[in-house]
Amino acid sequence: MAGIPFGHVLALSGILVALGVACATARRNLIMILLGVEIMLNGASIAFAAAALRWQQLEGQAFVLFIIAIAAAEVSVGLALIVHLYHRTGSLDPEKFNMLK
Amino acid sequence: MTYPAAADLTLTAAIAATALPLAAFAVILLLTRGFPRLSAALSIAAISVALVCAGLLLVRHGHLETPLEYSTLWMAGGDIVVRVGFLIDPLSLLMLMIVAVICFLVQVYSLGYMAGDPGFARYYAFMSLFAWAMMNLTLAASLLQLYIFWELVGLSSYLLIGFWYEKFSASEAGKKAFVMTRLGDVAFFIGILLVLLNFGNLSILELNSPRAGFLPPAVVTVSALLIFGGIVGKSAQFPLLTWLPDAMEGPTPVSALLHSATMVAAGVYLLARLFPFFSMSPAALQVCLAVGAVSMLLSATMAMVSRDIKQVWAYSTISQLGLMIMGLAAGDYVAGVFHLTTHAGFKALLFLCAGVFIHACGGNDMFEIGRRGARHLKIPMICMIIAAAALSGVPPLSGFFSKELILAALAGRPSPIWLAAGLLGAFLTTYYTFRLIFIILFPRGEAQAKDAHADGHNSEAGYRVMAAPLIVLAAVTGVLGFGGHALGRFLLQGFPGPVPGAGHPTWLPFAALGATAAAVGLAWFEFGRRGADQVGFVERVEPLRELFRRRWYIDDAYRWLLDHVLYRVFSAFCAKNDQKVIDGAVDGLGGSMAAAGRILAVLHTGSVQFRLLVVSVVLILLGLYYFVYPLN
Repeated sequence: MAGIPFGHVLALSGILVALGVACATARRNLIMILLGVEIMLNGASIAFAAAALRWQQLEGQAFVLFIIAIAAAEVSVGLALIVHLYHRTGSLDPEKFNMLK
Repeated sequence: MTYPAAADLTLTAAIAATALPLAAFAVILLLTRGFPRLSAALSIAAISVALVCAGLLLVRHGHLETPLEYSTLWMAGGDIVVRVGFLIDPLSLLMLMIVAVICFLVQVYSLGYMAGDPGFARYYAFMSLFAWAMMNLTLAASLLQLYIFWELVGLSSYLLIGFWYEKFSASEAGKKAFVMTRLGDVAFFIGILLVLLNFGNLSILELNSPRAGFLPPAVVTVSALLIFGGIVGKSAQFPLLTWLPDAMEGPTPVSALLHSATMVAAGVYLLARLFPFFSMSPAALQVCLAVGAVSMLLSATMAMVSRDIKQVWAYSTISQLGLMIMGLAAGDYVAGVFHLTTHAGFKALLFLCAGVFIHACGGNDMFEIGRRGARHLKIPMICMIIAAAALSGVPPLSGFFSKELILAALAGRPSPIWLAAGLLGAFLTTYYTFRLIFIILFPRGEAQAKDAHADGHNSEAGYRVMAAPLIVLAAVTGVLGFGGHALGRFLLQGFPGPVPGAGHPTWLPFAALGATAAAVGLAWFEFGRRGADQVGFVERVEPLRELFRRRWYIDDAYRWLLDHVLYRVFSAFCAKNDQKVIDGAVDGLGGSMAAAGRILAVLHTGSVQFRLLVVSVVLILLGLYYFVYPLN
């Protein structure tokens, strides 16, 4: 376990979050936005897990479990919203949903 | 100021005379508008008391060595002192009496003339306002106070000229009178300010005292001319003379009041009031003389072609006011004031008679009135002939004496042109006066057998009410002329200015009488004799008739001036300024705001992802700031 330095793991998690942001802001598809959010959550989870290992504390792992649970709930709600929107408009393009402009 | 022992009664009388008509005005407007008879009674009661007070004042102060002034400080600041109060001297007493008598007679006459008018109560309210303003103007002790009532006189005449405001021409005439007199009043006010700045005092007595002689002559001349501008507007002199003929739109008693004792007389009264002040500037007097002469001749020619009976008298008023101004400007104070007095009597009489005819015949056209049998109305016809003879200067009526005094004053001028103008004016006046009389007396064409008695004044009581003031005025016109010397002595008591010389050439009365007789003869030849076709010699010359009928194109000149100078240049400039400068600034401000908003609105696309991006970028920047910046 000692083979992988903590900094590398943090870098990985940072890259994942950055990829998530890029995915959520750049892809022109609602499902991809949801996926981007998921990736950001996972990047954060990796940071939590690595920190729990680094300081030998279990709270980090507990956080990861919570994040996974919440992410599952969030995906179900988000997908339900997307399905509903698709039914109403027949489109998944986020640019179409600009009625608050 | 020392108050004589008897001062209290005098003061009380002055206050009563000047305050009661105002009280009547207020009560009528506030309480009794629904009760026409009560309103008329109130108004007439107020003016009667004022008349009694004026008579009392005149009797008490028949021998007044020095003018009485009751005044109190109104404003003072630095070198400037303005007082208000009453100034009682022969001139103001005389004028107060004239105003009270004419107002009283006209209000009594109106009982018959205005009977049944829906605005009867309103009419009497305005009449009271008019009387109040004029009496206060008469007794005003300072120029500013005089100016205030001067404007009130203008206001009330506006209200009365436009009394039948449902009629478009009447409301237009009221507006015209108001605006044209206002033009002169602006000059008057600037003149007052000039006097105030240079003299520091607006008291009429002070202005007339030798103290004013220390002012620089240029200042005296300029301020006198500016004040004369107000007189030109008020007394309808050239070039502001066209409002007066239009003011005929008001009820006839109003015209009588306006033309004899109140509105237009106020101008001449002011000139007489400030006579010593004006005398200090020969240049200003010369201008007054010229303006008076031009107005007199112009309006006399206009009267020669008019067919409207009231309009003829209106032109004649302008002409006679011009004559008064000439008399005053020629340096004869008594002559001008005497003619003002006699003119008030016979001009009121002329208008009131005309009112009876108009009432009876239902029209203003003199040919129509003649055809309708106006000569059968004995009392007004005789009274009108008396008044017309007085206007023409036929002895022994009042106009003869006063006119002759003015002509004598004009004869005293170095240049003979003024006397010639005066004699020509007298000739023209007589001509147009007797033209009217002969046209009414000897109607041509199918004489409509309808007697005016039958349909005109079906109420005999109304006729009698109207006839009574006529008889009184005719009697006054008959005897007033012989009071000239007494009046002269009365007026010149304690008079600071130079007493005008009485010497005049002996041939002058004969010349004046000759002009009058020639004019009567000419009028008889053209209008009176059997077989005359009733077309005057000026009416035969088409361009001349057109010139006179269009009032020498003075109104057209104003129209042109308005259209081409005021509207096209001045108004256009203002409109340009409004559009380009003011609108431009406001529009530019708004436009730049909108443009800025449009640029910022690019950030607001409504896209979810764009917001997310912005949030991320801001968070990253904040993170950089928080983590990186402190390390530096």
